[in-house]
Amino acid sequence: MSRFLQQLINGLSIGSVYALMAVGYSLVYSIMNFSNFAHGGVIMLGAYFGYYYLTKLGLPFFVAFIASALTTGILAVVIERGAYKPLRERKAPFLYFIISAMGASIFLENIVIATIGPTFKSYPEILSRTPIQLGSVTLGRIDLTMFIISAICLALLVFFIDFTKMGKAIQATSYSVKASALMGINTDLVIIVVFALGGFFAGIAGVLFGMKYTVYPQIGIITNKSFIAAVFGGLGSLPGAVVGSILLGIIETMTSGYLSSNYRDLIAFVLLIAILVFRPSGLMGKITEDKA
Amino acid sequence: MDLYYIQGILMLAGINLMSVLGLSLLTGFTGMFSFGHAGFMAIGGYTSAMMTVNYGWPFIPALLMGALTAALMSALIGKLTLNLKGDYFCIATLGFGEAIRLVLDNVQYFGGARGWPGIPNYTNFTNVLIINIIAIIILANIIRSRQGRNMIAVREEELASQIVGINVFKYKLISLMISAAYAGIAGGLMAHYMTFLQPKMFSLVKSTELTIIVIFGGLGSISGSVLGALVLTSLPEILRSFSNWRLVIYGLSVIVIMISRPEGLMGGYELTPSSMKKLFTRMRSKKGNLPKSMEGGDTL
Amino acid sequence: MYKKTLALLLVSLMILTMAFTGCSKPETETAAPAEEIIKVGWMGSLTGDQAVWGQCELDTVKMLFEEINAKGGVLGKQLEVIGYDTKGDPQEAVNVAKRLTGQDKVVAILGPNASGNAIPIAPVLEQAKVPDIATVATNPKVTVLDGKVKPYNFRVCFIDPYQGAVAAGYAIEVLGFKKAAILYDVADDYSQGLTQFFEEFFVSKGGTIVAKEAFKFGDVDFRPQLSKIKDAAPEVLFLPIFFKEAALIANQARELGITVPLMGGDGLPSEQLFTMAKDAVQGTYIVNHVDYDDPEVQDLKNRYKTKYNKELELNGYLVHDAVVVFVDALERAGVADSVKITEALETTNVKGVTGQITISKDTHNPEGKDAAIVKIEGDRYVFQQKYSAK
Repeated sequence: MSRFLQQLINGLSIGSVYALMAVGYSLVYSIMNFSNFAHGGVIMLGAYFGYYYLTKLGLPFFVAFIASALTTGILAVVIERGAYKPLRERKAPFLYFIISAMGASIFLENIVIATIGPTFKSYPEILSRTPIQLGSVTLGRIDLTMFIISAICLALLVFFIDFTKMGKAIQATSYSVKASALMGINTDLVIIVVFALGGFFAGIAGVLFGMKYTVYPQIGIITNKSFIAAVFGGLGSLPGAVVGSILLGIIETMTSGYLSSNYRDLIAFVLLIAILVFRPSGLMGKITEDKA
Repeated sequence: MDLYYIQGILMLAGINLMSVLGLSLLTGFTGMFSFGHAGFMAIGGYTSAMMTVNYGWPFIPALLMGALTAALMSALIGKLTLNLKGDYFCIATLGFGEAIRLVLDNVQYFGGARGWPGIPNYTNFTNVLIINIIAIIILANIIRSRQGRNMIAVREEELASQIVGINVFKYKLISLMISAAYAGIAGGLMAHYMTFLQPKMFSLVKSTELTIIVIFGGLGSISGSVLGALVLTSLPEILRSFSNWRLVIYGLSVIVIMISRPEGLMGGYELTPSSMKKLFTRMRSKKGNLPKSMEGGDTL
Repeated sequence: MYKKTLALLLVSLMILTMAFTGCSKPETETAAPAEEIIKVGWMGSLTGDQAVWGQCELDTVKMLFEEINAKGGVLGKQLEVIGYDTKGDPQEAVNVAKRLTGQDKVVAILGPNASGNAIPIAPVLEQAKVPDIATVATNPKVTVLDGKVKPYNFRVCFIDPYQGAVAAGYAIEVLGFKKAAILYDVADDYSQGLTQFFEEFFVSKGGTIVAKEAFKFGDVDFRPQLSKIKDAAPEVLFLPIFFKEAALIANQARELGITVPLMGGDGLPSEQLFTMAKDAVQGTYIVNHVDYDDPEVQDLKNRYKTKYNKELELNGYLVHDAVVVFVDALERAGVADSVKITEALETTNVKGVTGQITISKDTHNPEGKDAAIVKIEGDRYVFQQKYSAK
């Protein structure tokens, strides 16, 4: 039983990492309707910003944390202006956005390798690595902190989207860009805000990731998992992204723990296909109807 | 430039082109986006290598066996996932590609992650060239046939095609199977060119590269795919002297190409004598006329 | 339409510019005339997940060549390195080998570091008759395939079966551990090879593998596997992997209350291990190529640090020895000819920083090279003993 509990905690902790990454991704998807593959690159840079703010500038943790989230927020908007806006203006199909995003992600990863170098960096110890013991089950301090920070950020995001004017505009735009524009919503501004928010979350995810593990140019590999998690939950749905991520984390952990760690990803994939066969829009995705 | 080196690059471009042609049918003519084509290449590569190494088959039947296996596998995956929309299908193929790689990493019969050396060196410049020419002719005929026109109809308006009585699912499946078979042949050529197979060679990066080539060349254009495969396979070679800045420039070029010419090099046109003539007439009249798919839907 | 034509022109112009810069001769570091230069190729990862090691190798080769050239070069000629990135991809490796041998006309190639890259370039080398000295490609199949030695493939490192046997033998015979757990990377060739040979040897010596768990490259969280390993109660945890994952695993294992010592192969030693997991890796035993306390090793380490202000990774020592072996063969060949150098390489017997290197004619491997067992104490790798498996 204690082994099961331990694995459940492991799964929740892995899932919450996926969730933080998936939220920014899902947010952009809900408006733009394309998979922003550059999101992984922005998360990676967030981790690097956090590292440099902490070590080179010597900022206190929370200041560095917010500062890197703001920096990546700006970065995400810059990427949008550079790589996506020209496509939007041409009304290019979503494939072009994806390819452009991939170009951006290759660019970001390799510019870090070329300038900062391929060696990874480790964050200074902010929280003690000694875990909290609950009977025979151990709970990492960083995991707990990460869980709490993620919950607070998500709550703030939900508040922002549900109760502010801008949030309402985002909702409307996600429903239909054209109709919102006709209703007088500045959709260009909405898109900037959405990218800034996505980037802000990428920064948070990056710093927490770096703190928990380490910082290196290929963090993007993990974000593929968060894409899959977002699909599990249903693309474009924020609660879906969170639920899908936690679920994927737990499925992976239980597979490694009880079935086979060699075939973990294969089993996760079979489950993904099974979910999609029965629910083609994921667990909580918006059901899109074809417009004739 | 050394001939041996150039030939090597051209062969690699030819091998890439085989997969790109298949992917072009799927993405460019049927409107579906796959991130798992490296997986089909892997299936084709390992199957044909197994045939030549373990069963002593000649090269061409082994290649066809690889193509057949890849096509059957794609039928299985297609049955389950072809009803999914846009990005859901994307992620499903992405997961498929990674799953194939994981299985190959684990199966020690094929050498696992350590790879499989000692595959006979059957691929040469001549047979790559001939196979590619045959492949292009077959593809051009498919596209001009009734089936091909139905596929294009599916790409343009899925719902409308359904209404006029086209079995959308069936044509998507045919398109996926043909494209997987092409990728399977490419995998077989690759195996007998490298004389070595390793699951690492068929990563997500490889699938992405193939998709980038298709889009770079121009969706819905075979000559675009040919040009794209030639240019984008040699581009990293040309950039080789830049050492670790190479991929930075590559990534940037992809973005620049997308935003400066989003319809790709050929933009749905083909390089045939009659199309060249048309192009000149149009240049004189100064009016562009894009195919419908390039204008985008009402997503934005 | 004009705008589009313009865009198309711009793109083609861009590609053309790149083509020309690419085709133009790479800048030579020395101003000596062409016939006074001996070109040596290097290949390895400068991008991708193995870039740490590749960059270090290329930097080391550059440094060593500068030093050699300052002393008058070899055979009165200057050495020049032409290094290309392979991204760690076998396909790229074949292209690079073709370019180095075909276009740049190098007399020998140093590297690559990955076995998966060293194996597929063999046919290219055979056709061009250019020898290759691999640095840390430890798969036996790099130099010998189906019982036949590959004529142009050499290496300076020991091979997986040997390394696995040393690790298993040391664990069971010297340290007295009977129950071992393994956590390996299923998607990595090095890791799979080492795992297989460690397991075989450990079991043949009467030990038991109580848990064998896998992860996949790119993973950062290993607690599901570690929780399982903890339940199996091993006496030692063998990590046949690279140091980034090892550091993360060490931290997470300690968090979960796994206190047994860790053990690893030549993928582990790095200064980075300490910055990431200093407390967690204390007492770890490592099968290494070099004894860090050796004065010659210290000297190389300091020279590198002074020049690049970075720590020298393990690959640096091995590429140093590859350079030593190459220069020795070149001097004995007496002429910068790739076939003569290959012949000379077959009778190599020279001292490098990783020990005496005696290349066997039948396997092209360095024979009788002892492994150095080191143990982590504080932030040092403390030399334990030279050990060779029986």
